[in-house]
Amino acid sequence: MPTDRREFLKLSMAGAAALSTMSAGATLSGCTSSVPASGMKILRPEDVELLRALTPAVMKGKIAPTDTAQLDQTLQSFDTLLVDLSEPVVIGVLQAFDVLNMGLTRGLTTGQWSAWSKASLEDAESALARLRDSGIGLLNAIYAAVIRLIASSWYLIPENALTTGYPGPPKKVAGVVPAAPPAKEAMP
Amino acid sequence: MTDLSTVTLGSTTDPYNRAAERGWDITDASQLTSSLDLEADVVIVGTGAGGGTAAETLSKAGLSVVLLEAGPLKTSSQFDMEERAAYRDLYQEGTGRGTKDGGMVILQGRSVGGSTTVNWTTSFRTPPETLKFWAEHMGVSGCSVEEMAPYYEHMEKRLSIHKWPQPPNNNNAMLQRASEKLGYSWATIRRNVRGCLNLGYCGLGCPVDAKQSMLVTTIPGALDNKAKLVHRARVVRVLRDGDAVKGVEAEALTPDDRGTTGQKITVRATRTILAGGAINTPAVLLRSDVPDPGERIGKRTFLHPTTLAMGIYDESIDPFYGAPQSIYSDHFQWQNIHTGPVGFKLEVPPLQPAFAAGFYTAAGEELTQSMDKLNHTQCMIALMRDGFHEQSQGGAVEINDKGQPLLDYPVNEYLLEGVRRAWSIMLEMQFATGAKTARPAHVNGKHYSSWKEAKAAVAALDAVAHKSKVGSAHVMGGCPMGDDPNQSVADCDGKFHHLDNLYIMDGSLFPTSIGANPQLSIYGLVYKLSSTLLTHFQA
Repeated sequence: MPTDRREFLKLSMAGAAALSTMSAGATLSGCTSSVPASGMKILRPEDVELLRALTPAVMKGKIAPTDTAQLDQTLQSFDTLLVDLSEPVVIGVLQAFDVLNMGLTRGLTTGQWSAWSKASLEDAESALARLRDSGIGLLNAIYAAVIRLIASSWYLIPENALTTGYPGPPKKVAGVVPAAPPAKEAMP
Repeated sequence: MTDLSTVTLGSTTDPYNRAAERGWDITDASQLTSSLDLEADVVIVGTGAGGGTAAETLSKAGLSVVLLEAGPLKTSSQFDMEERAAYRDLYQEGTGRGTKDGGMVILQGRSVGGSTTVNWTTSFRTPPETLKFWAEHMGVSGCSVEEMAPYYEHMEKRLSIHKWPQPPNNNNAMLQRASEKLGYSWATIRRNVRGCLNLGYCGLGCPVDAKQSMLVTTIPGALDNKAKLVHRARVVRVLRDGDAVKGVEAEALTPDDRGTTGQKITVRATRTILAGGAINTPAVLLRSDVPDPGERIGKRTFLHPTTLAMGIYDESIDPFYGAPQSIYSDHFQWQNIHTGPVGFKLEVPPLQPAFAAGFYTAAGEELTQSMDKLNHTQCMIALMRDGFHEQSQGGAVEINDKGQPLLDYPVNEYLLEGVRRAWSIMLEMQFATGAKTARPAHVNGKHYSSWKEAKAAVAALDAVAHKSKVGSAHVMGGCPMGDDPNQSVADCDGKFHHLDNLYIMDGSLFPTSIGANPQLSIYGLVYKLSSTLLTHFQA
């Protein structure tokens, strides 16, 4: 896509200036709304739309786009995860979301020209693939952060962790002596 | 398979249960309603491998010690082996810490005990090759193998460091078997544990206090010696009076550790020791605007940039259970010390599910179908030995306009060559031990079904920075020690070159990366430095 490539390069300069870091530092407050969506502590309404579109693509086979309950639960988990990160990291993540949310940059970086609420699963998969395969490191970094955060959010929900063949951790009970502990190592 | 989810663990081992009885002086700064002013012989910033070791050494000799820790005090009673709470409470920036361009994720501890509370217990003395390189090329004196040996011996005894006597879990066994099959050297790892139950949750806080971290050894030791611990207290800057440092100023953090309450903590001390680790120690110095004629502070910060490969087997691996690291291979580590391609150490990580998913570098069915077989998944990691070759100068710690630290460390071509080479080696090892499929940590990687296919695919992958997964759990350097004040930040006693009464005692002193998991390197060096400092007090 040679014509796209030129656009990407322009974006790279603008994007790199605005988004000087994924993980910290910049102080821009973005051009999207700054108020969290209803029921969320950090995610804004447009972030929720974005994640509703991208999550079924990242978690394909686990969440269908129509599975509202699973999506809600995963987005709540995502929001809690953001609360648990640091201020600089959250600023970086929200700036990355700004790039993916604002009309022009959304279209240029992901090929999604209409709103995320109108995106199909295929649109979302194609958007992720464009970020992944871009020649611009910044977009690759956004891709890496988005898939890591979505995947972590889903597997941080304890019942989802059990789908991996993980039986879960031992039970911790306050004030109780370990009952039948597993074989102990020999003392040195 | 052992199903540990049916095992019940208690909390009777938690030494902090008896804090009041033992007369321990512990302050949660988030609860302060007015400013706190303290005086001491020594103030120590940070309670990890460096701060804990220094605190015990100095308090044992009768010096009054104040320990300041930005993170919270979390103890085994609260360690429930759930990933979310552990990442939130026990890791810097909730595991979200990364390099400036987002190219590397940095796992670093942040509660009382620092990274020792969450590390995987792997204990190596600083390799002789590294000590020799420091002496010959980095202007370090007094740190030969022979000179360091007694200090390592002391700390090994203190922390019960010994060769792991039980069979490795399958995740580690594959590294051993592959090495035997392909003719690579390997050895059993030494661990700082006592009465370890072989559960596998070292990275989420040891639930039974078997890990001999600072949290349960030197910090209780220092508290018994009347040291004061103030946690949720983030040090802003050192206090100066001309060319001498007089202590530190800190701000109290909120109970969630994410904001400040507005209360100030001031500690005036005869000696100030910085031990906040290789990102936070340079950050304190940069915020304090201390003299830095050679512009060395925060430069040459190293990470052991680490990449990985996942292999799926027919047999059970259960990589989430069992001592996380018990086997390693240095076969590709020391071919050349500072010329030629980067060397790396091979180990394995524990794979609790969210951790594994976050590092898979995959999305869609490539991710979810792979994760469905996590109990059959083996993971190899290669830790690059950065800082020796001229093309490996590490990163630079900076502070932003809010004073928050940030590490600028682009992954360059020199490291990427090592990343690609390591993928090939690790994938071949996985197929050699019967993996049905194996996958390098690259966004375009797939689970290949033969070594031949994987080899060709790796050669064709676009191994650029943000498409190749590289992370770090070892932050080192940034305040290198050395005899030449223009080439280093501290002298070989850990004293800051350009101000009096200020010392650095943590991994930021290392002039290069270690080439091995760094905890014992920090323990040994800081035991030496704090013992030397003690002689200054006694003189």
